[in-house]
Amino acid sequence: MNWCLYLALKQLFPTGKKFSFFSTMSILGVALGVMVLFIVQSVMNGFQHEIRQSIVDMQGEVRVDANSNIIHNANGLSTFLKNQPEVVAVAHYAYGIVMLKYNNRPSFPIIKGIDLENEIKVVELRKFIKNGNIQDFDCESIILSSELANQIGARVGNSVEIYSPIMFEIAQSDEIVLPKTLKVVAIYETGYRQSDENIAIVTLDTLQDLYGLSEGIHGISLKLKPNIRPEKFVFELNKNLTPPIHAMSWQEMNKDLLFVLKTEKTMMFFVLVFILLVAAFSITSSMTISVVRKTHEMGLINALGGTIRQCAACFMIQGFIIGIIGSMIGIAFGMVLLKFRNNIISIFVKLCGVEDFMLKFYSFAQMPATYTLGDILKVIVFAVTICCLAGMLPAKKVAKIKPAEALRNE
Amino acid sequence: MNDYIVELEDIQKKFENVLILKDVSFGIKERETISICGESGAGKTTLINIMGLLEPPTHGTIFWEGQKTITYGIEKISQLRAKIFGYIFQRCNLIPELNVIENILFPKRITSKIRTSDIEFAQQLLRLVQLGGFEERNVLTLSGGESQRVAAVRAMINRPRIIIADEPTGSLDEKSANIIMDMIINLCREYGSSLLLITHNQLFAKKMQTSYVLNNSKLKQLDCLESEG
Repeated sequence: MNWCLYLALKQLFPTGKKFSFFSTMSILGVALGVMVLFIVQSVMNGFQHEIRQSIVDMQGEVRVDANSNIIHNANGLSTFLKNQPEVVAVAHYAYGIVMLKYNNRPSFPIIKGIDLENEIKVVELRKFIKNGNIQDFDCESIILSSELANQIGARVGNSVEIYSPIMFEIAQSDEIVLPKTLKVVAIYETGYRQSDENIAIVTLDTLQDLYGLSEGIHGISLKLKPNIRPEKFVFELNKNLTPPIHAMSWQEMNKDLLFVLKTEKTMMFFVLVFILLVAAFSITSSMTISVVRKTHEMGLINALGGTIRQCAACFMIQGFIIGIIGSMIGIAFGMVLLKFRNNIISIFVKLCGVEDFMLKFYSFAQMPATYTLGDILKVIVFAVTICCLAGMLPAKKVAKIKPAEALRNE
Repeated sequence: MNDYIVELEDIQKKFENVLILKDVSFGIKERETISICGESGAGKTTLINIMGLLEPPTHGTIFWEGQKTITYGIEKISQLRAKIFGYIFQRCNLIPELNVIENILFPKRITSKIRTSDIEFAQQLLRLVQLGGFEERNVLTLSGGESQRVAAVRAMINRPRIIIADEPTGSLDEKSANIIMDMIINLCREYGSSLLLITHNQLFAKKMQTSYVLNNSKLKQLDCLESEG
């Protein structure tokens, strides 16, 4: 073993001592920082993953539309899209804003017309049904988002009235307009606010009727084969589509939200890095004191044949070792805490009495958390780099030691 | 060509315009024993530091085996220092994080890998200084005399050509000092090392083949002084 590494290890873990106070505190400081960073990153990843999954499950991976224009020859486009080797399923849709009324409580939701048989091949609508039964869905029924149902006070089995813009146009010519009455057969909730807020789902035929679209649609949702990257597929597909018809990936449709999520994760990382910086400062301070205490020892090692540069390297190596061991312990503790996170949270929630609030606000049954090897490596590399930098300052101080002066220092 | 291992020629050393050494020339040969006496602050330690290239002279030349050291890089100097010199200081000789055997083997670790033969040699040396069985002892639990004996053994581990002992008995009582000094001399004799002893003790100085006195920045041989007197 290289003597610098040997001496660094011995200075951290001296022979004959069960543990060194300085080493233990330094390692625990780094472990704590790494653990918090790792847990928060994993939970952020988990939330991001859940939200992204909700979006994909509810919107589909790719949409082809005509910039809000009506696509009249939908079957031709649909056949072309189905023939793409990357595509598993396609589903037509149309949408618009209507006035929805229940018990004299009006609302103006976006109403989406879907072909249920194909839609469920593209999106996981059934997964999000909170109340009711999707099997009952037909031309005389409607599915409401949870927020919308709450807002107007409608429940499964109630009937709601729908007024479309065409009906208002007819009303202007003094004709009597009767609203379309639809029965609420299901209420869905994705946990993603944008999807849950103000949306109602009817059959495509009903929407075409309400909006006078005839056979026209607004777009086609696509489900791709596993491991196909939507952005790449969309890029290639758009080369073969004639404007205004164009394809958009779910990432492009939700780029603002994805940007916010990414920024949020970066900001959390940035804030939590300060825990590691505090640990690094305490390492630097302890090591600098150690340099002053060991000045004579540095001179002695120099007399025995070591160079001052090698002595300085010892302190750098100490920082590295603290970083590696601290990171490993931090990651290990982090993994254990993540494994039992739901038990810990349920205790915490009960103690603080915020159970309802948590469920209402986050709407995830369990706290999501995911991590990859890449995440672990990123945290470790970061922590080790900070610890090496922490060792650099005392090392620089050592490098300035003059051997003969150090030997006179007792 | 002379047969000095290390030779100093016209060495001058100043600290902030205070002259510490002036025109000092001397050398040490194979198996030679030399003592340097002088008052505290006379520059004895500075002189051996210059000899070991631990600090540069203000003027003068240092030769290691007839070669000017001015051209040597830090790495080469460190390697030569580890192989040629074995140091024993007055105090704080041992590294507190290492036990007795680890301290002894440390200079060996700097120059090469530790072999079983090195451990056996260290144990043999420990027995010679009557510290057999002390291998695993924490150095912080050793007495002053025991620490100096361990330091003497450590100085020997690389079988150096010169042992530099800078007041090795300065912090010990008379009885312990005599024992330690005899042990250092015997070790040097046994393993063929030269000995350069810095001491205040005239008795120890007289045990050396050649004795010098450092006074008023000048180094003078003791018999010359006596003939002058």
